[in-house]
Amino acid sequence: MAQQYSRRNLDFMLKEVLKVGELTQYPHFQDYTPDMFDMVLDTAEEIADKIMRPAYVESDRKQPELINGQVKVHPAVKDYMKAMGDSGMISATFHYEHGGQQLPLLVNAANEFIRGAAHNSFVMFTGLTAGSAHLIYSFGSKELQEKFADRMITAEWTGTMCLTEPQAGSSLSDVVTTASPQADGTYKIKGQKVFISAGDHDIADNIIHLVLARIEGAPLGTKGISLFVVPKFRADDAGNYTIDNDVVSTGIYHKMGQKATPAMHLTFGDKDNSVGYLVGEANRGLQYMFQMMNEARLGVGMGGTYIASAAYYAALEYAQERPQGRRLTNKNLVDSQTFIINHPDVRRMLTFQKAIVEGCIGLLFQCYWWQDMIHGLGSDNEEAKAYQTMLDLMTTVAKTYPAEYGIKAVNEGLQVFGGYGYTEDFPLEQMARDVRIMSIYEGTTGIHSLNLLGRGVTANGGKAPQLLFAEVMKTVIEAKNHEVLLPYAEKLEKELGRLQKVTMHLLGLAAQGNNEVFLADATLYMELFGIITVAWQWLKQGVVSQNAIEQSAPTGDELAFYQDKIHTMKFYFHYELIKTLSLAARLLDTEVLTVLHEEVEA
Amino acid sequence: MKILVCITNVPDTTAKISFIDGDTKFNKTGVQYICGPYDDYALSRAVELKEQHGGTVTVLNVGEAESEQVIRKCLAIGADDAIRVNTEPTDSYFVAEQIAHIASQENYDLILMGRESIDFNSGVVHGLVGEMLGIPSLSPVMKLEIDGGVAKMTREIEGGKEDVEASLPLVLGCQEPIAEWKIPNMRGIMSARTKPLKVVEPVGSGLTITEKYALPAPKGAVKMIPAEEAEKLIDLLKNEAKVL
Repeated sequence: MAQQYSRRNLDFMLKEVLKVGELTQYPHFQDYTPDMFDMVLDTAEEIADKIMRPAYVESDRKQPELINGQVKVHPAVKDYMKAMGDSGMISATFHYEHGGQQLPLLVNAANEFIRGAAHNSFVMFTGLTAGSAHLIYSFGSKELQEKFADRMITAEWTGTMCLTEPQAGSSLSDVVTTASPQADGTYKIKGQKVFISAGDHDIADNIIHLVLARIEGAPLGTKGISLFVVPKFRADDAGNYTIDNDVVSTGIYHKMGQKATPAMHLTFGDKDNSVGYLVGEANRGLQYMFQMMNEARLGVGMGGTYIASAAYYAALEYAQERPQGRRLTNKNLVDSQTFIINHPDVRRMLTFQKAIVEGCIGLLFQCYWWQDMIHGLGSDNEEAKAYQTMLDLMTTVAKTYPAEYGIKAVNEGLQVFGGYGYTEDFPLEQMARDVRIMSIYEGTTGIHSLNLLGRGVTANGGKAPQLLFAEVMKTVIEAKNHEVLLPYAEKLEKELGRLQKVTMHLLGLAAQGNNEVFLADATLYMELFGIITVAWQWLKQGVVSQNAIEQSAPTGDELAFYQDKIHTMKFYFHYELIKTLSLAARLLDTEVLTVLHEEVEA
Repeated sequence: MKILVCITNVPDTTAKISFIDGDTKFNKTGVQYICGPYDDYALSRAVELKEQHGGTVTVLNVGEAESEQVIRKCLAIGADDAIRVNTEPTDSYFVAEQIAHIASQENYDLILMGRESIDFNSGVVHGLVGEMLGIPSLSPVMKLEIDGGVAKMTREIEGGKEDVEASLPLVLGCQEPIAEWKIPNMRGIMSARTKPLKVVEPVGSGLTITEKYALPAPKGAVKMIPAEEAEKLIDLLKNEAKVL
């Protein structure tokens, strides 16, 4: 199998664009030296190469089975979890006092990228375990931390997040799972949760579910939701986790992709014997869960990107080896066939993939860098507050654009293979199935788009977009110093103006009081926003590359790397950024075609 | 138990190989370096033995400053300290001379290294070190247990295996499956920074001067002949490849 990612590009992003080494000046990261970050990525590569990649196809073909109430998964999942637990990678970013090593999230993102590109489905197990353990450390009592989270970060036990119910998917305010208080301070949990990733398996002795439920008498809506730790097995009198906690695997979903991760239908408390432990305060569950959801949202954006990366490198390798036809300038049939990479349309598809992958890495790593800077500066610092405001705005974009465009990029990768891409002889069909979930996980594209337009750009008098646009303008000003980048800086500046114009138009609709009209095309607004912010990331990479060419005089492969960056940046501007024309035209169009009239709905 | 593990800093197996200065020097630009895979096994077994019997593991590398990234990784895996002999490892005898010089200053029970490096693949350094120190050397060792002052080993031989015993101290060239593969963990990575890495100057000087490197001839193009056209294949082998 071809390589799945470019280590050189990850190094470029970490060391040259975001200057990860400078984070070590802050007390939170002071125990690190930059070479230690390389070692973390080396470890990720070893786990990816030796455990994950070899199991990628087989674990898709031999998917998990529910047999006599117990799910069996591919045995390599256990090897993976052991390697991750032994290496301390599950809790690497956690605070020292929570068993972590305070690794920058940026480095951890590159670590996850390497593993995810090798096997996107296995990464789910560690992502969920880390996220749920982090939630317990952040909001749970010391007792819950010691009983559960300490055993999750070593991979002895795994974790899940249980939000969705049959009648409450995107609409969490309709959650009906109940929690009845008991005399001993615990709660009896009763209800059903669906689409629970890694909800059951045979690779760990216990599974720690983090469940959203309503305590009897709680207010309606999201303000009445609490968070509970509900283990698969609870402790007996001796403190051993041997008691079946009445969490039943009612069904296993047969999914389109990501088949190595079982998605479960779980029933809690069918025998009235499922004990849950309240995390933090009652009725603040959704607020707590947002920590894990926001982590997972960036993780889903990463998923769209690292699968697209694996697809790109597979397509690139194939295009370099597959002879077919002759160049359109060559009519001589006696000549050998040319490799398909020499055909402009194939080059267009490949360059599109590269532009999406590396642009999305830029967008996501920017968000992780903001988080690291908040940790570094301290959340009370004014600069850190600005980063937090931009992060709150951009998390939804960094989830959605890479998910949506990751799907498009993998699709182009499959197209490069022609008919072979549609067969199981090559991994593209699997990647196309795997990536499809990303625009659905952790809030669909539609939900995130409503969030961006309905809340993100309007909160605090539009402070977040103001800060973001100022950041974009810093890059524009830097780019204008380079002749080769000047036209692209001007283009981006113009697009920023277009985005502001569209935003003002939509806010005008909001002021008229009809939210359905205002938000009807929020998904298109999200796409517009995503394209322009990825163009910003490309211009940023262009500036760093042009500086390297001018100041370091690289040669050979290094020069080619930077030149390729500039070329791909140009491609993004000429082929993708221009899509803003049609998106903006539609968003400024006042013809309303998708909003139901009251009488139609009735 | 005191164990010395000798490691090589070698180009990754996927590295693009090219030469500079009139083909007299290896072009290191853009090349990713790794610890020799056989050395990795030696180190992993040394760490396991330390865990079982106590003692220390010292990593030794004959190499220039660029080796230190790989040395730090070995410290992250579990070695206690490291020594780097600050010189280019020009030939096997020169490298063995450095190892023997360092080893002679301490009473190591075991001197472990890979059966061979994966750049020049001479596979003779362990033998030379044993000879220079006047202690036995064995290679390739695929299983190693220590019982008191005796090493019980399984060695790969032509067409089979050989179980052998020898008293410590020993020099061993190692290969898989002598140990479980190990990766640096986060605690190891954090502690590697503060573990001692001593740099010493070499003794003597290398005997080898490289006159010229050359890459293997590129592989010829493959011609696919349908199974039912065996005569055509024979014709090509006779008249084109001229191997019949």
